[in-house]
Order: sequence, then structure tokens, then C-alpha cells
Amino acid sequence: MTPALLGLPVGWLAVFFLAPIGIVAAYSVNVLALPPSTPGFTLGAWHDFIHSGVYLGLFWKSVKMSLIVSALVVLVAFPLAYYLALSGTKRKYILLLVLIAPFLTSYLLRVLAWKVILGDQGVVNTFLFWTGIRAAGHPISALLYSRFAVMLVLGYVWLPFVALPIFVSLESLDTRLLEAASDLGATRRQAFRRVTLPLSLPGVVAAFLFVFIPTVGEFVTPSLVGGTSGYMYGNQIVDLFGTGFPDWETGSVLALFLLGVIAALTVVFARFIQRDVAT
Amino acid sequence: MNTLNRKDLLKLGALAGGAAVVGGPAAAADAARALLAAESGNLQVLDWAGYGNDGGQAMFAQYVKEYPKNKPQFTYMTNEADALAKIQAGLKPDLFRPYVGWVQYFATSGLVQPWDTSLISNFKHLNPFMVKAGQYGGKQYGIPDDWGLDAILYRSDKVKPKSNSWSLLYDERYKGKIAWYDDPVENFTIVGLLRGYKDPWNQSDAELESAKNFLISKKHLVRTIWASETDLDQQFASGDIWIALAWPNDWVQMKAKKLPVVYMRPKEKPIAWVGMFMLLAGTPRPHLAHAYVDAWSSAKSGKWLEDNYGYGHANLLAKPSSSDLLKALQLTNPRAVTLPYAYLDRNVPRRAVYAKAWDEVKAA
Repeated sequence: MTPALLGLPVGWLAVFFLAPIGIVAAYSVNVLALPPSTPGFTLGAWHDFIHSGVYLGLFWKSVKMSLIVSALVVLVAFPLAYYLALSGTKRKYILLLVLIAPFLTSYLLRVLAWKVILGDQGVVNTFLFWTGIRAAGHPISALLYSRFAVMLVLGYVWLPFVALPIFVSLESLDTRLLEAASDLGATRRQAFRRVTLPLSLPGVVAAFLFVFIPTVGEFVTPSLVGGTSGYMYGNQIVDLFGTGFPDWETGSVLALFLLGVIAALTVVFARFIQRDVAT
Repeated sequence: MNTLNRKDLLKLGALAGGAAVVGGPAAAADAARALLAAESGNLQVLDWAGYGNDGGQAMFAQYVKEYPKNKPQFTYMTNEADALAKIQAGLKPDLFRPYVGWVQYFATSGLVQPWDTSLISNFKHLNPFMVKAGQYGGKQYGIPDDWGLDAILYRSDKVKPKSNSWSLLYDERYKGKIAWYDDPVENFTIVGLLRGYKDPWNQSDAELESAKNFLISKKHLVRTIWASETDLDQQFASGDIWIALAWPNDWVQMKAKKLPVVYMRPKEKPIAWVGMFMLLAGTPRPHLAHAYVDAWSSAKSGKWLEDNYGYGHANLLAKPSSSDLLKALQLTNPRAVTLPYAYLDRNVPRRAVYAKAWDEVKAA
């Protein structure tokens, strides 16, 4: 029965995941090519990519932005999840619902709302003019169409994704361990550091990955609020496939490289989580 | 595969001619309609936002009236590269609209076929200069309709240009208030015009490298690089942007919002573009596509386009209501898109090299 049961998901994976990756891989080595180019195996695009400071530089910039966003969001989400899971409040599921309420509106709408808030005539700048902190006509322009705007919006959008796995991890914590720690003379801080934090670490790591993986290849948010300085690796892939002049060969190389790095990171983190759980 | 081949045309001509002999002009028209009726389904149009059911209905209303069972169904393109990518990915439009600089590329790509201009009744009214620009190898691959300029739009209450020049796009005084357009050829051509390159559309490697470094050095002044006109209009209207490479429609939209704006004609000359309808090879609805383009090419559609979008129209009988627009675009001048008034966009032999350099500017 098992092979039959596995057939559908495996088939699904093969058709909608492995086959597209295979096609992208074929484009990356010019086995498939857009006219007027003629197909023929070459590693030229891979060679150019590896020796291109521009693409790798942009990739590193995106990685840094995603790392910062992921780390900050985890730092913000952890106390929230901790309060919801361990404070004993009866309203924790209502509060959890409030936390994930933004998901009830469209992603695009949530991102666009930030343009209204952060623009030169937006809510923040208008408030600063009103309070006299900034002179009228001298807005803080860096609030929108900047790297800061991209990271802020990404953090906002992905916060619930971070809070949920940490919440689940903390809620499943055996509270008798905390009582035991207390009985053995541990202070609350020591109990947190030596019991709660290590046991919730798999959730934290999973949460971190939940943000890092999608944001490192993000292109919608940067294209809406990023301007020239918030341009990310994902935007470059999109542009190579459809702006200026299609260069699917290089675009495919960039996409596969991103996939490879993310896959490697996922394997590393998965092993880390498994080892952590085992110990 | 249903292409508009010679046999097909002869069949149409024979049917119409025979019917005309036997039954007069009315019968000829009926015969032509019979062929059209044989084409089924919605006409598939790949076009720019604003030219479909999102506001452009007036320009193809005549077609919808005549062929209510074959209404156009739109897919939108953001630029020619996007259109090419969509077609390569399997989209099968009957017709689409690249701009004049891409005519040669598509004509030689095997993706398109020439039009039969005898099936477009309004063709005789179209600007002959633009009609010629739509030809390749003696065949009419592009039917010109909308046209306009790439020039600089700026807020006259905030910006005081030192001169009417493209250099305003790189003016250090307006750091953070400038928007460029996301098009490689456009950006490098402008630098080429500013620097007096021999052929800005076919720059040498050294010229291109120098232009690239110049753009990278000026990128810190630029707040956004717009790809969608809607985004640009929103950024301009909200005051986030004061200076932008823009199209006439943006000028019309900002004026409608009562913003003090000037659509500057740079002394190095603006760049003119002409939209060219192209017929896909192997389309199953070639006659319907001709009928659609005929509707777009009418003087009535042209006037509507000029009045509402601020673009010019290739139909020489179309005249806008606004004298401002008439003057700004020189709509009465059939050669307004070419020298000495403007540079008409053209084929770029090394488009891929330009695109690569532009990618590096954006990524830098």
C-alpha cells in the first residue's frame, strides 16, 4: 500500500518541482535556449556568474538583509510567543489570532499600506511635521524606497510566521521541568537560560528559517518599497527573465545558485535541530 | 496552423470579388465577413496596461461592436522583453504591440508575420513616415498607432533646471527626488546623447563601459527606477518624486491632478517611440486581428487616445481637443518623431549587451 500512497505526492513533486528545476538547469547550461540563440551545452553563464562581483555582491547584500530581518524578527517574536505560551493567560488564542490577523488581508495590500505610512507625505512624516521635529518640506526620505523600508516591511510581513513556531515550541514545553529547576534553586533567569531557551531552540531555528528562506529571494516587497538601494537578488532574477532583454541563461544560473544555497542551509539547520532534539 | 498566406488572401479576394460581381459591394462585404466568421474564440491580445479593458475600451469599441462573439481577451506586457518572455513561455496571442525599436528584432525572429494592409481600411490615413518605420524587408510587419516621446517631467514649483537638458536626470541638487525608467537602451542612449556619442544606439564597448560607470556614479541620486507607469504617477503625485523620465500621459495625468508640472523637451532632443501592432505567425485569427487593428487605427480612436492619454496617434485625421497637447507633441507635424525634432527609437544591434550593462547598474 505504501508505494501506492506515496505515488501521488511523489508524482506531484516530480512534475511541479523537479521537472521545472530540470528545465531551469537546462537553460542555465544552454541546452535549452531562447531564439535567436542556438542551444548547445556550455558552462559560460556559470563561469561568468562565479567570476562576476556584481551578482555575488548582490547575493551577499540580500543575504545580509535577510539575516538582519530574520534575527530582529525572532528577537521581537520570542517575547510575544513566550508571553502567549507561558504566561497562563486565558486569552492566549484570542491574542494569537490578533497576531496573525494581518494574514486575513492580501500580501500586496499590507505592503502597499506601508507606502502610505512611510512616504514623504505619509503618516510618519506628517506627524514629524506636526510635532515640529522636522521642518515642513523636509521629510525623512530614507523611510521609503530604501533598504530600511524593505527590511521593515519584510519584518512586519513575516512576524507571525516567526511567532507561531516559537509559540508551538514553548507551549509544548513540559512545565514540570521549570518547576524542577526552581526546586533545585535556579533563578527564573537561570531556568530560562538553561531550560526554556535550549528546549525552544528547534522552534526558534525553524522560525528563523521560515523568514530567511523566502526573504533572501524576495522580489515583490523590494520592487514596491525598495527603490534603487533596496534592490535585491530576487529582483535581479526577475529582471534577467523579463526586463531589458531576456537572458534566461544567466537568470537560471542565479535561480539555481539561490536554490542550492538555501537547500544547503536547510540541510545544515535540519541536522542541527535533529541533534538538538536528540540531546 | 492558420496563417494569412497568399492562398488565403486569394481566397478572400476571390470570394469578395466574385460576390461583388454577382451581388454588388454588399455581397462582397458579406463574403469577407464569412471568412471572419470562420475564425472562432476570443481574440488574444498582448498589450500594455491601459490599452485593454482597463480603460482603453474606446479604442477598440468598433471591433467589439462588429465582433461581439470574438471580444478581445488581454494579457498585459510591461515591456517588449516581458512580451518576448511570455510568448517564449507558451502564451499564444494573436497580436501584440512592441515599439518601433523592436520591429527588426521580431521580424527576423520568426515569431511574427506581415500584415495585409488591404484589410485595414484606415491604413491609408496612417502617417507614411511611421508606416515606413514599421516595415522590414519591404513587408509591413508593424502597424503604427500610438506614439509619444520620452522626455523629462518635473515639478516646476520645486525644480529649477539649469538648462533644458537630459542632465536634469543626474542633477546633484535633487538627490532622492529623481526617477529613472527601467529600460537599458533608454538609459544608455540618454547618456550617449548627452556625451555626443556617434551612435548612442550602437555604442562601442568602451562607450558602454563609460556610460555604465557614469550611471552607477549617479545612481545614489535616484530614488526609484520605475517599470510601471501607475507607480510613477503615484510617486509623482505623492511628492516622493519631482523629476522623472516620463511619457506624455504622465504629464496629462499630473496636470489633471493640478500639479505644477513641465514636460521638458531636452536640447539634446527627446526620444520618440511608435507603438507597432504585430501579427503573430500561426495565429488562428488573422482576419479578426486585422479588424481589431483597423478599429484602433481609426481617426475616432486616435482622437480619443490623444484626448485621454496624451499620446499621439498615427492617423493623420485625428486631432486632439487640447491645444497644449497639440503644441507639446507637435501633433500637426507628420515628422514630429524624427529629426530635427526628436530621435526616433530604432533597432539596437547589441541589445543584450546593453541589458547586461544595465543589470550591472541596478545591481551595483
